[in-house]
Amino acid sequence: MNELKIFDGFGHVLLEVAVALAPLLLLFLILQVWLLKFSRRRFIRVLKGFVLTFLGLSFFLQGVYVGFLPVGEIIGKTMGSLEFGWLIIPAGFLMGFVATFAEPAVRVLNYEVEKASGGYIPQQVMLYTVSLGVAASIALSLWKVWLGIPLWYLVIPGYVLAFILARYSSPSFVAIAFDSGGVATGPMTVTFILTMVLGFASALEGRDPLTEGFGMIAMVALSPILAVLSLGLLFSRKEKQDERYHAEV
Amino acid sequence: MKDIKGTVLEVVLAVLPVTVFVLILQAVLRLPSLVMAQFLIGVVMVTIGLIFFLVGIHLGMLQIGEATGSALSRIGRVWILVLFGFLFSFVVTVAEPDVRVLATQVDAVSGGAISKDLLIIFVALGVAIFVGLAILRVVLGVPLRHLLLASYALVFILAVLAPAEFRAVSLDAGGVTTGPMTVPFILALGVGVASVLGGRSTSADGFGYVALGSVGPILSVLLLGVIYG
Repeated sequence: MNELKIFDGFGHVLLEVAVALAPLLLLFLILQVWLLKFSRRRFIRVLKGFVLTFLGLSFFLQGVYVGFLPVGEIIGKTMGSLEFGWLIIPAGFLMGFVATFAEPAVRVLNYEVEKASGGYIPQQVMLYTVSLGVAASIALSLWKVWLGIPLWYLVIPGYVLAFILARYSSPSFVAIAFDSGGVATGPMTVTFILTMVLGFASALEGRDPLTEGFGMIAMVALSPILAVLSLGLLFSRKEKQDERYHAEV
Repeated sequence: MKDIKGTVLEVVLAVLPVTVFVLILQAVLRLPSLVMAQFLIGVVMVTIGLIFFLVGIHLGMLQIGEATGSALSRIGRVWILVLFGFLFSFVVTVAEPDVRVLATQVDAVSGGAISKDLLIIFVALGVAIFVGLAILRVVLGVPLRHLLLASYALVFILAVLAPAEFRAVSLDAGGVTTGPMTVPFILALGVGVASVLGGRSTSADGFGYVALGSVGPILSVLLLGVIYG
Protein backbone atom coordinates (compact mmCIF):
# COMPACT_ATOMS: atom_id res chain seq x y z
CA MET A 1 0.00 0.00 0.00
CA ASN A 2 1.93 3.03 -1.19
CA GLU A 3 -0.71 5.57 -1.95
CA LEU A 4 -3.81 6.87 -0.31
CA LYS A 5 -6.98 4.93 -1.05
CA ILE A 6 -10.06 7.05 -0.67
CA PHE A 7 -12.56 6.07 -3.31
CA ASP A 8 -11.04 2.72 -4.25
CA GLY A 9 -13.85 0.27 -4.76
CA PHE A 10 -16.50 2.93 -4.10
CA GLY A 11 -18.44 1.80 -7.17
CA HIS A 12 -18.66 -1.63 -5.65
CA VAL A 13 -19.89 -0.17 -2.35
CA LEU A 14 -22.57 1.88 -4.14
CA LEU A 15 -23.78 -1.26 -5.87
CA GLU A 16 -23.75 -3.19 -2.58
CA VAL A 17 -25.86 -0.52 -0.86
CA ALA A 18 -28.26 -0.25 -3.81
CA VAL A 19 -28.86 -4.00 -3.67
CA ALA A 20 -29.23 -3.83 0.13
CA LEU A 21 -31.85 -1.08 0.01
CA ALA A 22 -33.76 -2.31 -3.06
CA PRO A 23 -36.01 -4.83 -1.23
CA LEU A 24 -37.06 -2.17 1.28
CA LEU A 25 -37.84 0.33 -1.47
CA LEU A 26 -39.84 -2.29 -3.35
CA LEU A 27 -41.84 -3.19 -0.25
CA PHE A 28 -42.53 0.51 0.35
CA LEU A 29 -43.75 1.04 -3.22
CA ILE A 30 -46.10 -1.95 -2.98
CA LEU A 31 -47.46 -0.71 0.36
CA GLN A 32 -47.80 2.81 -1.01
CA VAL A 33 -50.05 1.61 -3.85
CA TRP A 34 -51.99 -0.95 -1.85
CA LEU A 35 -52.25 0.38 1.68
CA LEU A 36 -50.45 3.57 2.69
CA LYS A 37 -51.46 5.96 -0.13
CA PHE A 38 -49.22 8.77 1.15
CA SER A 39 -49.89 12.24 -0.23
CA ARG A 40 -47.57 13.36 -3.02
CA ARG A 41 -45.61 15.58 -0.61
CA ARG A 42 -45.18 12.86 1.99
CA PHE A 43 -44.24 10.31 -0.68
CA ILE A 44 -41.49 12.59 -1.99
CA ARG A 45 -40.27 13.19 1.57
CA VAL A 46 -39.89 9.44 2.09
CA LEU A 47 -38.06 9.10 -1.22
CA LYS A 48 -35.68 11.87 -0.10
CA GLY A 49 -35.15 9.83 3.04
CA PHE A 50 -34.21 6.85 0.87
CA VAL A 51 -31.69 8.94 -1.09
CA LEU A 52 -30.08 10.20 2.14
CA THR A 53 -29.99 6.70 3.60
CA PHE A 54 -28.39 5.40 0.41
CA LEU A 55 -25.69 8.09 0.41
CA GLY A 56 -25.13 7.80 4.17
CA LEU A 57 -24.79 4.04 4.16
CA SER A 58 -22.40 4.19 1.18
CA PHE A 59 -20.11 6.77 2.79
CA PHE A 60 -20.23 4.97 6.11
CA LEU A 61 -19.24 1.61 4.60
CA GLN A 62 -16.54 3.18 2.39
CA GLY A 63 -15.05 4.94 5.43
CA VAL A 64 -15.14 1.69 7.37
CA TYR A 65 -13.52 -0.28 4.53
CA VAL A 66 -10.69 2.19 3.78
CA GLY A 67 -10.11 3.59 7.29
CA PHE A 68 -11.45 1.68 10.25
CA LEU A 69 -10.87 -1.94 9.26
CA PRO A 70 -7.19 -1.47 8.24
CA VAL A 71 -6.28 0.57 11.33
CA GLY A 72 -8.10 -1.76 13.74
CA GLU A 73 -6.37 -4.75 12.20
CA ILE A 74 -2.91 -3.20 12.27
CA ILE A 75 -3.27 -2.06 15.89
CA GLY A 76 -4.40 -5.55 16.94
CA LYS A 77 -1.61 -7.23 14.98
CA THR A 78 1.07 -4.86 16.29
CA MET A 79 -0.03 -5.40 19.88
CA GLY A 80 -0.22 -9.17 19.34
CA SER A 81 3.39 -9.30 18.15
CA LEU A 82 4.77 -7.24 21.06
CA GLU A 83 6.11 -8.69 24.26
CA PHE A 84 4.00 -6.29 26.33
CA GLY A 85 1.00 -7.02 24.07
CA TRP A 86 -1.20 -7.72 27.09
CA LEU A 87 -1.31 -3.92 27.52
CA ILE A 88 -4.06 -4.03 24.91
CA ILE A 89 -6.30 -5.44 27.68
CA PRO A 90 -6.30 -2.29 29.92
CA ALA A 91 -6.32 -0.14 26.76
CA GLY A 92 -9.44 -1.97 25.55
CA PHE A 93 -11.02 -1.50 28.98
CA LEU A 94 -10.50 2.28 28.85
CA MET A 95 -11.72 2.45 25.25
CA GLY A 96 -14.89 0.52 26.10
CA PHE A 97 -15.59 2.70 29.11
CA VAL A 98 -15.19 6.02 27.29
CA ALA A 99 -17.10 4.89 24.19
CA THR A 100 -20.07 3.66 26.24
CA PHE A 101 -20.01 6.70 28.49
CA ALA A 102 -20.43 8.88 25.39
CA GLU A 103 -22.99 6.65 23.61
CA PRO A 104 -26.37 8.41 23.23
CA ALA A 105 -28.35 5.13 23.13
CA VAL A 106 -27.06 4.29 26.61
CA ARG A 107 -28.39 7.60 27.93
CA VAL A 108 -31.84 6.80 26.57
CA LEU A 109 -31.70 3.45 28.40
CA ASN A 110 -30.61 5.16 31.63
CA TYR A 111 -33.53 7.54 31.41
CA GLU A 112 -35.95 4.62 30.88
CA VAL A 113 -34.53 2.75 33.87
CA GLU A 114 -34.72 5.80 36.11
CA LYS A 115 -38.38 6.22 35.12
CA ALA A 116 -39.24 2.51 35.55
CA SER A 117 -37.62 2.44 38.99
CA GLY A 118 -39.44 5.57 40.13
CA GLY A 119 -36.14 7.40 40.54
CA TYR A 120 -34.52 4.73 42.71
CA ILE A 121 -31.86 4.06 40.10
CA PRO A 122 -30.37 7.43 39.16
CA GLN A 123 -29.18 7.84 35.58
CA GLN A 124 -25.61 8.37 36.75
CA VAL A 125 -25.53 5.01 38.58
CA MET A 126 -26.77 3.23 35.45
CA LEU A 127 -24.32 5.12 33.24
CA TYR A 128 -21.32 4.04 35.32
CA THR A 129 -22.60 0.46 35.71
CA VAL A 130 -23.21 -0.07 31.98
CA SER A 131 -19.94 1.63 31.00
CA LEU A 132 -17.96 -0.49 33.45
CA GLY A 133 -19.83 -3.58 32.23
CA VAL A 134 -18.94 -2.95 28.59
CA ALA A 135 -15.34 -2.08 29.52
CA ALA A 136 -15.05 -5.35 31.46
CA SER A 137 -16.55 -7.33 28.55
CA ILE A 138 -14.03 -5.93 26.08
CA ALA A 139 -11.14 -6.52 28.50
CA LEU A 140 -12.38 -10.09 29.13
CA SER A 141 -12.63 -10.74 25.37
CA LEU A 142 -9.03 -9.61 24.85
CA TRP A 143 -7.84 -11.55 27.91
CA LYS A 144 -9.61 -14.68 26.61
CA VAL A 145 -7.82 -14.33 23.25
CA TRP A 146 -4.48 -13.66 24.99
CA LEU A 147 -4.76 -16.85 27.09
CA GLY A 148 -6.73 -18.95 24.60
CA ILE A 149 -9.75 -19.49 26.87
CA PRO A 150 -12.79 -20.84 24.94
CA LEU A 151 -15.61 -18.33 24.49
CA TRP A 152 -18.20 -20.69 25.99
CA TYR A 153 -16.53 -20.61 29.40
CA LEU A 154 -17.45 -16.93 29.58
CA VAL A 155 -20.67 -16.73 27.58
CA ILE A 156 -22.57 -19.65 29.14
CA PRO A 157 -22.14 -18.41 32.74
CA GLY A 158 -23.18 -14.95 31.49
CA TYR A 159 -26.43 -16.23 29.97
CA VAL A 160 -27.15 -18.49 32.95
CA LEU A 161 -26.64 -15.54 35.30
CA ALA A 162 -28.97 -13.41 33.17
CA PHE A 163 -31.71 -16.05 33.33
CA ILE A 164 -31.29 -16.50 37.10
CA LEU A 165 -31.43 -12.74 37.68
CA ALA A 166 -34.48 -12.51 35.40
CA ARG A 167 -36.21 -15.19 37.49
CA TYR A 168 -36.14 -12.88 40.52
CA SER A 169 -36.73 -9.55 38.78
CA SER A 170 -39.99 -7.75 38.14
CA PRO A 171 -41.40 -8.16 34.59
CA SER A 172 -40.88 -4.50 33.75
CA PHE A 173 -37.17 -4.80 34.50
CA VAL A 174 -36.82 -8.04 32.54
CA ALA A 175 -38.48 -6.16 29.68
CA ILE A 176 -36.04 -3.27 29.74
CA ALA A 177 -33.05 -5.55 30.33
CA PHE A 178 -33.50 -7.96 27.43
CA ASP A 179 -34.26 -5.18 24.98
CA SER A 180 -31.20 -3.23 26.15
CA GLY A 181 -28.64 -5.68 24.76
CA GLY A 182 -28.28 -3.60 21.62
CA VAL A 183 -27.49 -0.21 23.13
CA ALA A 184 -23.83 -0.95 23.72
CA THR A 185 -23.09 -2.66 20.42
CA GLY A 186 -23.06 0.46 18.26
CA PRO A 187 -21.40 0.84 14.86
CA MET A 188 -18.03 1.57 16.49
CA THR A 189 -17.97 -1.76 18.32
CA VAL A 190 -18.26 -3.88 15.23
CA THR A 191 -16.17 -1.67 12.93
CA PHE A 192 -13.26 -0.94 15.20
CA ILE A 193 -13.08 -2.95 18.42
CA LEU A 194 -13.98 -6.28 16.78
CA THR A 195 -11.36 -5.71 14.06
CA MET A 196 -8.76 -4.96 16.72
CA VAL A 197 -9.61 -8.19 18.55
CA LEU A 198 -9.45 -10.15 15.26
CA GLY A 199 -6.05 -8.62 14.40
CA PHE A 200 -4.81 -9.37 17.90
CA ALA A 201 -5.92 -13.02 17.58
CA SER A 202 -4.30 -13.45 14.17
CA ALA A 203 -0.92 -12.17 15.43
CA LEU A 204 -0.78 -14.48 18.45
CA GLU A 205 0.64 -17.91 17.85
CA GLY A 206 -1.80 -20.80 17.98
CA ARG A 207 -4.94 -18.62 17.89
CA ASP A 208 -7.55 -18.96 15.17
CA PRO A 209 -9.26 -15.57 14.74
CA LEU A 210 -12.34 -17.25 13.25
CA THR A 211 -13.07 -19.41 16.30
CA GLU A 212 -11.41 -17.30 19.00
CA GLY A 213 -11.63 -13.71 17.82
CA PHE A 214 -15.39 -13.55 17.29
CA GLY A 215 -17.78 -13.66 20.23
CA MET A 216 -16.77 -10.25 21.52
CA ILE A 217 -19.98 -8.56 20.39
CA ALA A 218 -22.07 -11.20 22.17
CA MET A 219 -20.19 -10.47 25.38
CA VAL A 220 -20.60 -6.71 25.01
CA ALA A 221 -24.33 -7.21 24.36
CA LEU A 222 -24.66 -9.17 27.60
CA SER A 223 -23.28 -6.43 29.84
CA PRO A 224 -26.18 -3.94 29.78
CA ILE A 225 -28.59 -6.87 30.33
CA LEU A 226 -26.71 -7.95 33.45
CA ALA A 227 -26.33 -4.33 34.61
CA VAL A 228 -30.05 -3.54 34.35
CA LEU A 229 -31.10 -6.82 36.02
CA SER A 230 -28.68 -6.61 38.94
CA LEU A 231 -29.43 -2.94 39.61
CA GLY A 232 -33.12 -3.82 39.34
CA LEU A 233 -32.74 -6.46 42.05
CA LEU A 234 -30.82 -4.10 44.32
CA PHE A 235 -33.55 -1.55 43.77
CA SER A 236 -36.41 -3.93 44.60
CA ARG A 237 -34.73 -4.85 47.89
CA LYS A 238 -34.33 -1.22 48.75
CA GLU A 239 -37.97 -0.62 47.89
CA LYS A 240 -39.09 -3.45 50.21
CA GLN A 241 -36.96 -2.09 53.02
CA ASP A 242 -38.51 1.32 52.54
CA GLU A 243 -42.00 -0.20 52.61
CA ARG A 244 -41.18 -1.94 55.87
CA TYR A 245 -39.84 1.31 57.21
CA HIS A 246 -42.98 3.18 56.25
CA ALA A 247 -45.16 0.41 57.70
CA GLU A 248 -43.34 0.65 61.00
CA VAL A 249 -43.65 4.40 61.07
CA MET B 1 -33.32 21.59 12.26
CA LYS B 2 -33.13 20.76 15.96
CA ASP B 3 -33.29 17.07 15.07
CA ILE B 4 -30.37 17.40 12.68
CA LYS B 5 -28.28 19.16 15.34
CA GLY B 6 -29.05 16.34 17.76
CA THR B 7 -28.09 13.75 15.18
CA VAL B 8 -24.78 15.48 14.44
CA LEU B 9 -23.96 15.59 18.15
CA GLU B 10 -24.94 11.95 18.55
CA VAL B 11 -22.68 10.81 15.72
CA VAL B 12 -19.73 12.96 16.81
CA LEU B 13 -20.00 11.58 20.35
CA ALA B 14 -19.96 8.05 18.99
CA VAL B 15 -17.01 8.50 16.64
CA LEU B 16 -14.83 10.73 18.86
CA PRO B 17 -13.72 8.19 21.52
CA VAL B 18 -12.43 5.75 18.87
CA THR B 19 -10.57 8.55 17.09
CA VAL B 20 -8.89 9.80 20.27
CA PHE B 21 -8.04 6.22 21.26
CA VAL B 22 -6.33 5.55 17.92
CA LEU B 23 -4.43 8.86 18.05
CA ILE B 24 -3.11 8.06 21.56
CA LEU B 25 -2.07 4.55 20.47
CA GLN B 26 -0.41 6.09 17.42
CA ALA B 27 1.85 8.14 19.71
CA VAL B 28 3.01 4.87 21.34
CA LEU B 29 2.99 2.40 18.44
CA ARG B 30 4.13 4.67 15.60
CA LEU B 31 1.99 3.05 12.92
CA PRO B 32 2.70 3.84 9.25
CA SER B 33 1.54 7.39 8.50
CA LEU B 34 -0.34 6.19 5.43
CA VAL B 35 -2.58 3.96 7.54
CA MET B 36 -3.19 6.88 9.88
CA ALA B 37 -4.05 9.22 7.00
CA GLN B 38 -6.51 6.65 5.68
CA PHE B 39 -7.99 6.28 9.15
CA LEU B 40 -8.58 10.03 9.46
CA ILE B 41 -10.22 10.10 6.04
CA GLY B 42 -12.29 7.15 7.19
CA VAL B 43 -13.36 9.09 10.30
CA VAL B 44 -14.66 11.94 8.14
CA MET B 45 -16.51 9.57 5.79
CA VAL B 46 -18.01 7.54 8.62
CA THR B 47 -19.17 10.69 10.42
CA ILE B 48 -20.80 12.19 7.34
CA GLY B 49 -22.20 8.80 6.38
CA LEU B 50 -23.81 8.16 9.75
CA ILE B 51 -25.35 11.65 9.87
CA PHE B 52 -26.91 11.23 6.40
CA PHE B 53 -28.01 7.72 7.27
CA LEU B 54 -29.75 8.69 10.52
CA VAL B 55 -31.43 11.77 9.02
CA GLY B 56 -32.56 9.61 6.09
CA ILE B 57 -34.05 7.02 8.42
CA HIS B 58 -35.89 9.76 10.26
CA LEU B 59 -37.33 11.21 7.05
CA GLY B 60 -38.17 7.96 5.33
CA MET B 61 -38.00 4.73 7.25
CA LEU B 62 -39.69 5.86 10.45
CA GLN B 63 -42.61 7.26 8.44
CA ILE B 64 -43.08 3.92 6.70
CA GLY B 65 -42.81 1.96 9.94
CA GLU B 66 -45.33 4.03 11.84
CA ALA B 67 -47.81 4.36 8.98
CA THR B 68 -47.64 0.64 8.22
CA GLY B 69 -48.05 -0.24 11.89
CA SER B 70 -51.26 1.75 12.20
CA ALA B 71 -52.60 0.74 8.76
CA LEU B 72 -52.09 -2.94 9.54
CA SER B 73 -53.81 -2.54 12.88
CA ARG B 74 -56.87 -1.21 11.01
CA ILE B 75 -56.94 -4.36 8.87
CA GLY B 76 -56.73 -6.36 12.08
CA ARG B 77 -55.83 -9.80 10.74
CA VAL B 78 -53.21 -11.74 12.65
CA TRP B 79 -51.72 -13.52 9.64
CA ILE B 80 -51.19 -10.21 7.82
CA LEU B 81 -49.33 -8.84 10.85
CA VAL B 82 -47.13 -11.94 11.02
CA LEU B 83 -46.47 -11.82 7.28
CA PHE B 84 -45.48 -8.14 7.31
CA GLY B 85 -43.46 -8.60 10.50
CA PHE B 86 -41.52 -11.25 8.62
CA LEU B 87 -41.12 -9.23 5.39
CA PHE B 88 -40.13 -5.96 7.07
CA SER B 89 -37.65 -7.60 9.42
CA PHE B 90 -35.99 -9.32 6.48
CA VAL B 91 -35.62 -6.21 4.30
CA VAL B 92 -34.37 -3.92 7.09
CA THR B 93 -31.85 -6.46 8.42
CA VAL B 94 -30.38 -6.82 4.94
CA ALA B 95 -29.74 -3.05 4.97
CA GLU B 96 -28.45 -2.87 8.57
CA PRO B 97 -24.89 -1.40 8.55
CA ASP B 98 -23.55 -3.46 11.48
CA VAL B 99 -24.73 -6.68 9.86
CA ARG B 100 -22.90 -5.84 6.62
CA VAL B 101 -19.65 -4.93 8.40
CA LEU B 102 -19.72 -8.12 10.49
CA ALA B 103 -20.38 -10.24 7.40
CA THR B 104 -17.49 -8.53 5.57
CA GLN B 105 -15.15 -9.42 8.41
CA VAL B 106 -16.36 -13.02 8.63
CA ASP B 107 -15.87 -13.38 4.88
CA ALA B 108 -12.32 -11.95 5.12
CA VAL B 109 -11.23 -13.90 8.20
CA SER B 110 -12.61 -17.20 6.89
CA GLY B 111 -10.85 -16.59 3.56
CA GLY B 112 -14.17 -16.56 1.73
CA ALA B 113 -15.29 -19.92 3.16
CA ILE B 114 -18.30 -18.25 4.83
CA SER B 115 -19.63 -15.99 2.11
CA LYS B 116 -20.78 -12.48 2.99
CA ASP B 117 -24.07 -12.54 1.08
CA LEU B 118 -25.07 -15.98 2.31
CA LEU B 119 -24.37 -14.95 5.91
CA ILE B 120 -26.42 -11.74 5.54
CA ILE B 121 -29.36 -13.68 4.06
CA PHE B 122 -29.30 -16.23 6.88
CA VAL B 123 -29.04 -13.53 9.56
CA ALA B 124 -31.99 -11.69 7.99
CA LEU B 125 -34.04 -14.91 7.79
CA GLY B 126 -33.30 -15.57 11.46
CA VAL B 127 -34.51 -12.12 12.49
CA ALA B 128 -37.56 -12.35 10.21
CA ILE B 129 -38.71 -15.77 11.44
CA PHE B 130 -38.28 -14.80 15.08
CA VAL B 131 -40.07 -11.47 14.76
CA GLY B 132 -42.91 -13.41 13.14
CA LEU B 133 -42.83 -15.83 16.08
CA ALA B 134 -42.72 -12.93 18.55
CA ILE B 135 -45.96 -11.55 17.10
CA LEU B 136 -47.60 -14.99 17.23
CA ARG B 137 -46.40 -15.35 20.81
CA VAL B 138 -48.25 -12.21 21.86
CA VAL B 139 -51.40 -13.33 20.03
CA LEU B 140 -51.33 -16.82 21.56
CA GLY B 141 -50.30 -15.55 25.00
CA VAL B 142 -47.18 -17.69 25.35
CA PRO B 143 -44.92 -16.25 28.10
CA LEU B 144 -41.77 -14.68 26.69
CA ARG B 145 -39.54 -16.48 29.18
CA HIS B 146 -40.67 -19.90 27.90
CA LEU B 147 -39.96 -18.97 24.30
CA LEU B 148 -36.56 -17.48 25.19
CA LEU B 149 -35.57 -20.53 27.26
CA ALA B 150 -36.64 -22.91 24.50
CA SER B 151 -34.69 -20.88 21.93
CA TYR B 152 -31.52 -20.80 24.00
CA ALA B 153 -31.82 -24.55 24.67
CA LEU B 154 -32.00 -25.02 20.90
CA VAL B 155 -28.94 -22.73 20.54
CA PHE B 156 -26.89 -25.05 22.75
CA ILE B 157 -28.04 -28.18 20.90
CA LEU B 158 -27.19 -26.67 17.51
CA ALA B 159 -23.90 -25.31 18.85
CA VAL B 160 -22.79 -28.86 19.61
CA LEU B 161 -23.69 -29.99 16.09
CA ALA B 162 -22.29 -26.98 14.18
CA PRO B 163 -18.61 -26.75 13.22
CA ALA B 164 -16.45 -24.61 15.53
CA GLU B 165 -16.03 -21.83 12.95
CA PHE B 166 -19.73 -21.02 13.14
CA ARG B 167 -20.21 -20.94 16.91
CA ALA B 168 -18.56 -17.65 17.83
CA VAL B 169 -19.75 -16.02 14.61
CA SER B 170 -23.35 -17.00 15.33
CA LEU B 171 -23.30 -15.34 18.76
CA ASP B 172 -21.95 -12.13 17.27
CA ALA B 173 -24.59 -12.24 14.55
CA GLY B 174 -27.15 -12.05 17.36
CA GLY B 175 -25.52 -8.87 18.64
CA VAL B 176 -25.43 -6.83 15.44
CA THR B 177 -29.08 -7.06 14.43
CA THR B 178 -30.25 -4.49 16.98
CA GLY B 179 -29.18 -1.46 14.97
CA PRO B 180 -30.58 1.93 13.95
CA MET B 181 -32.43 0.40 11.01
CA THR B 182 -34.12 -2.57 12.66
CA VAL B 183 -35.18 -1.34 16.08
CA PRO B 184 -37.46 1.58 15.08
CA PHE B 185 -39.21 -0.61 12.51
CA ILE B 186 -39.78 -3.51 14.83
CA LEU B 187 -41.00 -1.26 17.64
CA ALA B 188 -43.44 0.52 15.33
CA LEU B 189 -44.76 -2.87 14.28
CA GLY B 190 -45.09 -3.85 17.93
CA VAL B 191 -47.33 -0.85 18.48
CA GLY B 192 -49.48 -2.07 15.60
CA VAL B 193 -49.80 -5.54 17.12
CA ALA B 194 -50.64 -4.11 20.52
CA SER B 195 -53.49 -2.04 19.08
CA VAL B 196 -54.91 -5.02 17.15
CA LEU B 197 -55.02 -7.04 20.33
CA GLY B 198 -56.60 -4.20 22.24
CA GLY B 199 -57.19 -5.01 25.90
CA ARG B 200 -55.56 -8.41 25.68
CA SER B 201 -52.09 -6.94 25.45
CA THR B 202 -50.38 -6.00 28.70
CA SER B 203 -47.23 -3.91 28.91
CA ALA B 204 -45.08 -7.00 29.47
CA ASP B 205 -46.30 -8.32 26.11
CA GLY B 206 -45.19 -5.28 24.16
CA PHE B 207 -41.52 -6.08 24.51
CA GLY B 208 -39.48 -9.04 23.54
CA TYR B 209 -39.36 -8.34 19.80
CA VAL B 210 -35.81 -7.09 20.12
CA ALA B 211 -34.76 -9.93 22.44
CA LEU B 212 -36.29 -12.60 20.19
CA GLY B 213 -34.93 -10.81 17.13
CA SER B 214 -31.41 -11.41 18.46
CA VAL B 215 -31.89 -15.13 19.20
CA GLY B 216 -33.13 -15.76 15.66
CA PRO B 217 -29.85 -15.02 13.86
CA ILE B 218 -27.85 -17.09 16.37
CA LEU B 219 -30.03 -20.08 15.48
CA SER B 220 -30.04 -19.46 11.74
CA VAL B 221 -26.25 -19.02 11.53
CA LEU B 222 -25.71 -22.20 13.57
CA LEU B 223 -28.13 -23.95 11.21
CA LEU B 224 -26.09 -22.64 8.27
CA GLY B 225 -23.07 -24.21 9.98
CA VAL B 226 -24.82 -27.55 10.38
CA ILE B 227 -25.76 -27.50 6.68
CA TYR B 228 -22.18 -26.58 5.71
CA GLY B 229 -20.57 -29.10 8.01
